[in-house]
Amino acid sequence: MSENDQKSADVVELEYDSFFLHARREAIIIFLSWVVAFLWAVPYCYNYGYSIENPAEIPTTFGIPSWLLWGIAMPWLVADIFTTWFCFRYMKDGELGKASDEEMDPAASEVAEATP
Amino acid sequence: MNCFPSLLAAGDSGISVLVTFLIYILGVFFIAWASNRLLKGKNFLSEYFLGSRGLGVWAFALTLAATSSSGGSFMGFPSKIYTHGWSLGLWIGSYMVVPICVMGILGKRINQVARISSSITVPDILRDRFRSVAFGLIAVSLIVFFMTFNLVAQFKGGSEILRTLLGPIEAFGTAASGLPDWMAGMTTQGNEYLLCLLVFGIAVIVYTTYGGFHAVVWTDVMQGVVMVVGVVIMLPLAIHQAGKVVQESHPEIASQASSKLESVTRQMATMQPPARGTATFKQVHSNATDKPLLVPSGSWIFSSPEGENPERLFKVAKSFQLAKGTSSFVNEDSNGNGKLDEGEDTNGNKALDPEIWEIVDPADRAQVRRRLKEGKETNDLSDAFVLTDITVHNYAYGAKRTVDSDGDGTISTSEKGHEGSYVTGPGPHRDKNDGFLPLSLAISFFFMWAISGTGQPSNMVRLMAFKDTPTLRRSIFTVAIYYSMIYFPLVIIFCCARVLIPGMESEPDRIMPQMAIELTRNVGMGWMAGLLIAAPFAAVMSTVDSFLLMISSALVRDIYQRNVNPEATEKKIKKLSYLFTMLVGLGALLGAMRPPEFLQDIIVYTGSGLASCFLAAVVYSLFWPRSNAAGCIAAMLSGFGAHLSLYLVGFLQGTGFAPYRLLGMDPVVMGLIVSFLVGYVVTICTEAPPVDLVRKYFCKTTSEQD
Repeated sequence: MSENDQKSADVVELEYDSFFLHARREAIIIFLSWVVAFLWAVPYCYNYGYSIENPAEIPTTFGIPSWLLWGIAMPWLVADIFTTWFCFRYMKDGELGKASDEEMDPAASEVAEATP
Repeated sequence: MNCFPSLLAAGDSGISVLVTFLIYILGVFFIAWASNRLLKGKNFLSEYFLGSRGLGVWAFALTLAATSSSGGSFMGFPSKIYTHGWSLGLWIGSYMVVPICVMGILGKRINQVARISSSITVPDILRDRFRSVAFGLIAVSLIVFFMTFNLVAQFKGGSEILRTLLGPIEAFGTAASGLPDWMAGMTTQGNEYLLCLLVFGIAVIVYTTYGGFHAVVWTDVMQGVVMVVGVVIMLPLAIHQAGKVVQESHPEIASQASSKLESVTRQMATMQPPARGTATFKQVHSNATDKPLLVPSGSWIFSSPEGENPERLFKVAKSFQLAKGTSSFVNEDSNGNGKLDEGEDTNGNKALDPEIWEIVDPADRAQVRRRLKEGKETNDLSDAFVLTDITVHNYAYGAKRTVDSDGDGTISTSEKGHEGSYVTGPGPHRDKNDGFLPLSLAISFFFMWAISGTGQPSNMVRLMAFKDTPTLRRSIFTVAIYYSMIYFPLVIIFCCARVLIPGMESEPDRIMPQMAIELTRNVGMGWMAGLLIAAPFAAVMSTVDSFLLMISSALVRDIYQRNVNPEATEKKIKKLSYLFTMLVGLGALLGAMRPPEFLQDIIVYTGSGLASCFLAAVVYSLFWPRSNAAGCIAAMLSGFGAHLSLYLVGFLQGTGFAPYRLLGMDPVVMGLIVSFLVGYVVTICTEAPPVDLVRKYFCKTTSEQD
């Protein structure tokens, strides 16, 4: 171990692995997507679904109460589209590395492929 | 004993349930056998507890989805929808981002860090990431503490579900009553429960012990498929049949609606929740037989006390017996034996006021009458009993306002109240004046499913097991579609159940099997009920096996191998893994024979408690190079303390196991906020980690290291 290695991380300038940086950026975007979903769904449903004057005449869309359709069902669809875009367009692939326990026996790997 | 068995007995569903169940168990054992073959030629611990980090898309996606969907998704959730209506759509709303949150936030990094450190468990990661034995032990202790309680609760849940499924089958009843006395004396829950616990428990313990992680994963895949197929079949049947009921009972509503689902929603908008209470049962003809007369749960009684018009309709919530030659009643204890009730009626005679539910909604009353006529409901005891001294209480939120206008104790209803509560927020609630889902709880649940789900160690373990990043990406997409096909459709299905099968508030957990039987029998495919009913059983099984493996991995890997005997041979580790998995399972099975009180509350407590402890610590350790052991340990312990203290305050206030809700929020919200804040403050106030540790986990790719 070099002398530099024993120093505190506060005093050494480090260049981070790009895999880590991508993963962190993706985690932040995912968290923000939760924030957006939250900021849309809860206030919308509360505003339009909690104080309906005449429930017998409740507005519906496709048979579902409209406050729930626009507050939850449609955002759910949008969330699925976002998830699809995020998974197939935005997320970066990278090498995860190999653990020390990952030495594979060739015969065993044949069994692994043959069984479910 | 109730209308559910008699329904099954009427068709071939009882046999199909049994056949489905047996096929299912055989499938599970085959998978365990195949998984055990995989153990050969591989690192035992890595394979047994983590599937050699080689899960592909379907295995990874469905094991995560199935583990998250515990029995609650297919028993508790449907019963909540049935009881509280469309507001459950908001309650479950954050599931729109649960897959991407639970898998995407931590997935890549936790898998990478687990490989860098060759970790097999979550405590492994925390210990190696900070080179802190103490941190690993604290994490293990918390996992074992929370998971053990949860495992006992899940065993009980699994047994209850199995009892619901197999209860109607005659052979099952015979087998249960044939259990020897010494065995029956081991539980307080009755023979049927004990038999189910043994069947469920032994099946899970055997296949998990023998097959390890791969058995758990592949049974999860099978269970996941069963769940989604069940929902896909039920959705169109439910909409069609409920729409038909509205068309027949309320043609004026149906004619204004543009679709069957709209007519269901419009009928729900007019519905009123039932009222719960008690009444004194007077038999029309005295019971002169030698045997006590059984009044089964689910029995219906149309009664007009003092000539009231229209007739009122009551449902018996729990079965009870009428003693020979008397008009007094004996309650039935959990073993099905008679037990004298201590109460007295107004004349001083020994009598019981059994729990009843009054169906106050006219449309519901008409539907019950129709179902009795068609033979879909049995046990109409209107000719056998009259009810007196009826006392019923309306829902605290959701009923039309109750008015005792002349002060004589009788209840009438005004036209103004919380009408339409089944189609608007916050939804009806029996006890809470602010309804089922007030704004503070809506916020809490949006927080809970997505953010708290991310912090569950059982999910983290799965994130350590996928084989590469394309697998992660495709799996997130797969789970997103999978959840979309399950959760919102379940809300629709069980809103339709409100119209189809009135009065299930007295036994809401039975709504899932009851609905499965109803829907399939109506289309002449009773055999299909077996498949649909297998879904909740599959869900709880897939959760239990994962928790079982988590506890045994904590004991074998984190405590024994890493602290007691690091030089242990693989043969010894293998033996211990089998032994501990079996012992933990048997321990939980024994615990579930005499389950503690507040079981459902314990499940909620452990789920939110684990998130409060682990999420901040794991997020900091994976994404913040400056994080250190002191900060992450502080995050973990402060989350545990904040969460626990809110439960203690609730306990001291005399609310049992119900927590104190600061600002109306669930304790997990406060637990997470405190955990993140304390973790951050302690980290920046303490020394930065050594640079070599930061380099190892943040600066190099693993291939460079190797």
